[in-house]
Amino acid sequence: MAKDKNSEDYIGPIRRLAVGLLVLVLFGIFLFWRIDSPRAERLRAEAIDKFVPSFEWAMAPINGVVNLISDFESYQQLRAQNQDLRRELQQMKAWKEAALQLEQENAKLLDLNNVSLDPQLTYVTGVVITDSGSPFRQSVLVNVGARDGIIDGWPTMDGIGLVGRIAGVGQNTSRVMLLTDTSSRIPVTIQPSGQKAILAGDNTLNPPLEFLEDTSMVRPGDRVVSSGDGGVFPADLLVGQVALGTDNRLRVRLAADYQRLEFLRVLRSQPHEDIPDPTDLLAPEAEFFGPAALTPSALTTSEVGDG
Amino acid sequence: MAERADARTWTNRCIFMALAFVIIVAQLVPLDMQPIGWAPPDLLLVITLVWVARKPHYLPVLVIGFLFLVADLLFQRPPGLWAALVVILTETIRRQNRDFRNMPLMVEWGTITIGIVAITLMNRLVLFMTMVPQAPLGLTLIQMIATIAIYPVIVLIAHFIFGVSRSAPGEIGSRGQRM
Repeated sequence: MAKDKNSEDYIGPIRRLAVGLLVLVLFGIFLFWRIDSPRAERLRAEAIDKFVPSFEWAMAPINGVVNLISDFESYQQLRAQNQDLRRELQQMKAWKEAALQLEQENAKLLDLNNVSLDPQLTYVTGVVITDSGSPFRQSVLVNVGARDGIIDGWPTMDGIGLVGRIAGVGQNTSRVMLLTDTSSRIPVTIQPSGQKAILAGDNTLNPPLEFLEDTSMVRPGDRVVSSGDGGVFPADLLVGQVALGTDNRLRVRLAADYQRLEFLRVLRSQPHEDIPDPTDLLAPEAEFFGPAALTPSALTTSEVGDG
Repeated sequence: MAERADARTWTNRCIFMALAFVIIVAQLVPLDMQPIGWAPPDLLLVITLVWVARKPHYLPVLVIGFLFLVADLLFQRPPGLWAALVVILTETIRRQNRDFRNMPLMVEWGTITIGIVAITLMNRLVLFMTMVPQAPLGLTLIQMIATIAIYPVIVLIAHFIFGVSRSAPGEIGSRGQRM
């Protein structure tokens, strides 16, 4: 029996040493990730970049089967769906009319007031390749990356609402952290009250609003848009609607359709112009402005009082 | 080690790798981006444990290490930690291979349960000590329980579909090596 045991390859001391080494290497990788997280995450993004696009062929059949099933289900409800859509279309026509009129009115008013708007945001559209593959993380991988000029932190939308932000860019792919992820925090404004809050993802479909100053001014149904605070996102991107959760917390019903994210728009967000000290910007050198008799100090105080 | 493996062992190794690949890809397919309130079992872990408990020589330790490291990278987990814990667990099971051959299924299941609970707790403990943000505790527990619950099902599937069952005492491969 003793001889028998010794002959088994999984008890040999060399093997034990090799296994110990393997475990050490794995723990070493973990420690490296912990110590130098950005670099490790870059390596991870590169590894995924190499690995994932190459097995799209394997995902195609699974996707196809699921699409087939959902298509089949929708055939069954075709008639009901058709009627619903017709009714909705009627309503939308009325809305479209109203929107056109408002747009014209808005343009006129803006023109009268000489308001300069933000330059139009341009975007890159990508296709979702994979999701995070784990119930603990809410993120997706899209097929645009550094090659397409994607930069970490850019906001991502589907056709309607905000979906998340870029977190991790590879050469051909980039990862979008969804608003529902536990580490997602974005500053938002609630219209029409103008209250500011933080939308904090907590791994549920309707993330809660945190740091609301005055909850009495916010009603379920209010629009939630991104605020430009902190330079995280451009302002006024639609996020969703306020809703009262079953736990009596104010939550946001997201406008983006999380059930089926297929195409995502990555907005080319221009970095905010940083104004660290308002007086410096207004009067860099006093002699360039106005008469020479005006001292810089007099100018700055008057400007501050004005602002 | 290589000269002891016969063609059947190699086939089974390939089958395992293919199965693991399918599981990983199936988890990555972007079907629904809504967060779900529960967590499905960690199938990759279960099939690894079933295979190691039944036919350890089908599953070299390097394969396990590599597979779980890749899974860590793909599934946005802290890379290396879970892989290391799984390697330790499978090595423990491998060393007790002789005991596992004679165990009733319930005892085997109980032993595996202890192992899964131990590495889950270790994982959380290490993440806590290194101050890494963690997944919600409830979700982790649900996944752990689901993983444990599905073990006997996978044992049956492995036995009847993939032919992975315990080696009989004195069973030898086609090249005369011990199983």
